Amino acid sequence: MATRATSSSSTYAALMECVRSHAPASHAVANLPLTISQTRAEALLHVVHDVGGQPDGPIDKTLHKPAHWEKSTHCTAECLAWRGHWVSEERRRRENDLGETLYFGTPYYARWLLAATKMLLDKGLVTPDELLAKMEEIRAREEIAA
Amino acid sequence: MSSTTHDDHAHPHPHPHAPIEEKGEAAEFAILEAAIRELSIAKGLFSAEDHRRFMEWYDKVGPTGGARMVARAWVDPAFKQRLLADGVTACKEIGVDWLQPTGSGTPSDYTYLITCENTPKVHNVIVCTLCSCYPRPLLGLSPAWYERPTYRRRVVRWPRQVLAEFGTIIPPDVEVRVHDSNQKTRYIVLPMRPAGTEGWSEEKLATIVTRDTMIGVALPSADWTVSSTPTHG
Repeated sequence: MATRATSSSSTYAALMECVRSHAPASHAVANLPLTISQTRAEALLHVVHDVGGQPDGPIDKTLHKPAHWEKSTHCTAECLAWRGHWVSEERRRRENDLGETLYFGTPYYARWLLAATKMLLDKGLVTPDELLAKMEEIRAREEIAA
Repeated sequence: MSSTTHDDHAHPHPHPHAPIEEKGEAAEFAILEAAIRELSIAKGLFSAEDHRRFMEWYDKVGPTGGARMVARAWVDPAFKQRLLADGVTACKEIGVDWLQPTGSGTPSDYTYLITCENTPKVHNVIVCTLCSCYPRPLLGLSPAWYERPTYRRRVVRWPRQVLAEFGTIIPPDVEVRVHDSNQKTRYIVLPMRPAGTEGWSEEKLATIVTRDTMIGVALPSADWTVSSTPTHG
């Protein structure tokens, strides 16, 4: 029976190694390691907006005439700060917290707008129901299909 | 903003607003913007008057303020010294008040202004690597390329190459200094007065000081067409 137990144990270990080989590569380094390399520490501590010094291609010098919503977003964000609901550094920090996909993948003032919206919701100054109802109201009066 | 600008359909509701003209996905941003602004005003987070004041400030600021500042510094050495010593205070002399439009400045811009003077041996250029800090009271809203990651990424590390892409070649014996703006400190470049402008009035000098020369990606020229770029493309 002892022989059989050993065989079962080694089969189990081999099976688990097989499972491990199918796990995402990131699990191998995300298993609460006791030490990490300096390179990995720098990668983990890197914040999305800190882009200075990164390599990139030619400068896109295209200019852009701000749309009304972009101009108004700027002013709304500033008014919210003027009247004490946040400060500009909180806005910028909340832009980071949108994550890399939204940070780099949306227009500049979309970051301001999404950050302001999430601030109003997070602080309970506006409820999600109120926001959705207001957006529906505006959609209806502007005759814009959802 | 006006409630009378819709001429294509009946418009019974009482709320004044600018019509949303964006199409497709951009209309969603316009709807969200209108929603949070109207909710904020309805809840008294700020007033419609507050917002109107900021919209007027936004329309008012532009690079002509900075151009007046540079031209004054070129013709008045005492002003230049005051500007280099205390930028925000000196700006009042050329009609730019950093305390507008609230009386305590804008939440994003009221700060400490440092003027970076170009010399035959030093060329300055400004950036905000972390976001988009910019001397808005003097230059207005920043150009789109200033906000884009590509400029922010490269100019602190390869400034001569970036300046060359703007058509500005800095000789190897001239030091290039890149100033990284932040929440507490804004920079503006004081370019050198170009040759061929001897005897010009302050007003005429101001006409050759473009936005890009005060960011530091261009150099002013007596031929104003050389360093002139349109505000919007």
